[in-house]
Amino acid sequence: MNSSLDSTDTGQTPLHLTSGHWLWRSTTRPWSLLINKRSIVVNATLTLILLACALSSLALGTLSITIPDVILALQGKGTTMHTFVLEELRGPRLLAGALAGASFALAGCLMQTLARNRLATPGIIGIDNAATAFAVASVVGVGISAAPHTMALVGAAVATALAFGLAGATGTRGYRFIIAGLAIGAVSGAITQVMLSSVALDDANAAYPWTVGSLNARAPAAVNALIIGLIVGYTLSLFLNRALITLQLPEPVTASLGTRSGRVRVAGLILSVLLTGLAVSVAGPVGLIALLGPELARTISRPGSIPLTASALSGAILMVLSDLAGRLVFSPLEIPVGIIAALAGSPYLLWILLHKSPDINR
Amino acid sequence: MKTYSNYVATWVMLFLACLASLLFGAGTLELGQAFAVLTGQGTEDARYVVMELRLPRLVIGMATGLALGVAGALLQTLTRNPLAEPGLLGVSAGSAFAVSLAILLGASTATLTTLISQVGALAGCGLVVAATRIQGAGQDPVRLVLAGATLTGLLLSLSSLLMLIDQRAADEIRFWITGSLAGKRWDQLTATMPSLLLAGAIVIGVARPLASLALGEKVAMGLGHKPGLIRLMVIVAVALLVGGATALAGPLVFVGLVVPFAARSLAGADIRKTLWLCLPIGPAMIIAADTLSRLLVTPSEMPLGVITAVIGAPVLMVIIRARRIPAL
Repeated sequence: MNSSLDSTDTGQTPLHLTSGHWLWRSTTRPWSLLINKRSIVVNATLTLILLACALSSLALGTLSITIPDVILALQGKGTTMHTFVLEELRGPRLLAGALAGASFALAGCLMQTLARNRLATPGIIGIDNAATAFAVASVVGVGISAAPHTMALVGAAVATALAFGLAGATGTRGYRFIIAGLAIGAVSGAITQVMLSSVALDDANAAYPWTVGSLNARAPAAVNALIIGLIVGYTLSLFLNRALITLQLPEPVTASLGTRSGRVRVAGLILSVLLTGLAVSVAGPVGLIALLGPELARTISRPGSIPLTASALSGAILMVLSDLAGRLVFSPLEIPVGIIAALAGSPYLLWILLHKSPDINR
Repeated sequence: MKTYSNYVATWVMLFLACLASLLFGAGTLELGQAFAVLTGQGTEDARYVVMELRLPRLVIGMATGLALGVAGALLQTLTRNPLAEPGLLGVSAGSAFAVSLAILLGASTATLTTLISQVGALAGCGLVVAATRIQGAGQDPVRLVLAGATLTGLLLSLSSLLMLIDQRAADEIRFWITGSLAGKRWDQLTATMPSLLLAGAIVIGVARPLASLALGEKVAMGLGHKPGLIRLMVIVAVALLVGGATALAGPLVFVGLVVPFAARSLAGADIRKTLWLCLPIGPAMIIAADTLSRLLVTPSEMPLGVITAVIGAPVLMVIIRARRIPAL
């Protein structure tokens, strides 16, 4: 953390910069580039793992395809059957899952960092539930005709605004915010249940994937929106990275370093809400990915850094793996990815809650 | 004098709620008709509406509200946590999961459901109390509530998993898991009554020792009570009450939070006074919520769990914003 804040320009490279970094400084202009070796290694490893998971996700299922066949089919030389399965069924599903997972985890990482509390993830503070409630409202048709993913975004924004309004602000430890979100989540969950229990059974079944989180219900339009949102959100969050690091310092230090903490918080929160809403519109409420992804990334990344890229990659890996497990374990019955994520993630969350400090830096 | 008027006011509230519950619904009754039925006269139609539809519902609602209110008050005093509510902490979810499992396996008799529900609640309760004894986290009310929410989420996912396996059971579970008093019959009450009475007896016995335990473990021991035994009895009572209520009406969140909160703000910290006030407030809340659930979207009904969640969430916020909770 110290290294990236270092702005002394004495001509000599400070000692702590030589160990884990590659540093390039222009001698004529005030430019410098600092690359962490560990970040490179971590992100490269995660990318490789993601590729491996993606390949197995493409290969495994009711119809097993061998890896060489998968590669052949991807090159356009496979059999018609294989090409159909990969291009029409598993490919889009994999893409949706990986993108949604990355989006959830990135949103979680941003929000945890802002609140300095690892419990402050969109899922726990009710954004997922509210987005779901709004999306379900449009699916079952309660007089609203907007597309589900638009509604999910609106729901996410409304929930966040409500949580802030009710809690006053995030507070120093973000707890009030969390409990306000918990209350909003409970009410939204109840409303979703009402809508499902009061409509015809067919409509209820159509909306069921929304309530547990599943990659079956994805709409192409929502996936396209997610792709754009993720690219924009990821790029913007990289710009925020440096300011986010200074936010971890005490407030006076942050201010004296020239970070406008209010603006950074608002920007980060907006990004987080946007990413969550778009991800929910594709995959439903799989909120625990937003907790597990950043947690995994933080464990393997450099201490003190904000592992945005690593979080997104971990989230994608976890989502793809959960979906794969859901398809394989009880095959031919398919378990929605949300249930798998909850089953795997809840015990871990309980463990964090009861045994660890919620502060992300400890 | 103030306490006295509080009691009168709450009982009057309960009476009004009961009256509204009998009179309002899909078909409105005249006050005179309802009284005629209750005194053994009245037309056949009115008689059917009151005796077969609304009265069972009213009585079951009263039992549910009573059980959840008292259970909440007990659990809050035991864990010293104003947010300790059976629904929020996962006790109700434990019993709901147990019942879902039983429905899937084909159990349908009311007696069996009650028993299973209570076993599930006991397991949930045991987990909660074990969690409160963990150093650090157990003393932090908010973290405990989050842990409860997580446990609830986990159990709900497991229930969803069960719903995937069997479509017939799924419909039954989906209706039940939102919490509702619709279509309840007398036999469900008779199946639950013995265990609720047993719980009542335990509560009467344990109220005084629990009040001294609230002053501290050493004080309680000095007064000749056994803290371990008191804790065990309270846990059993809470499990019986929550399990019974869940078997009757499905998992209702926030009732055990709102009712003791209202009672405490009227009566002060003494658990015995709080419990006395829970007696009218709990049933009044459920019955009022149930009547609302019938009136808001006539001719169909809103699930009761939705109304209690909508009432309860703001109360949760009020408690959080009050200064009483440490670490906020």
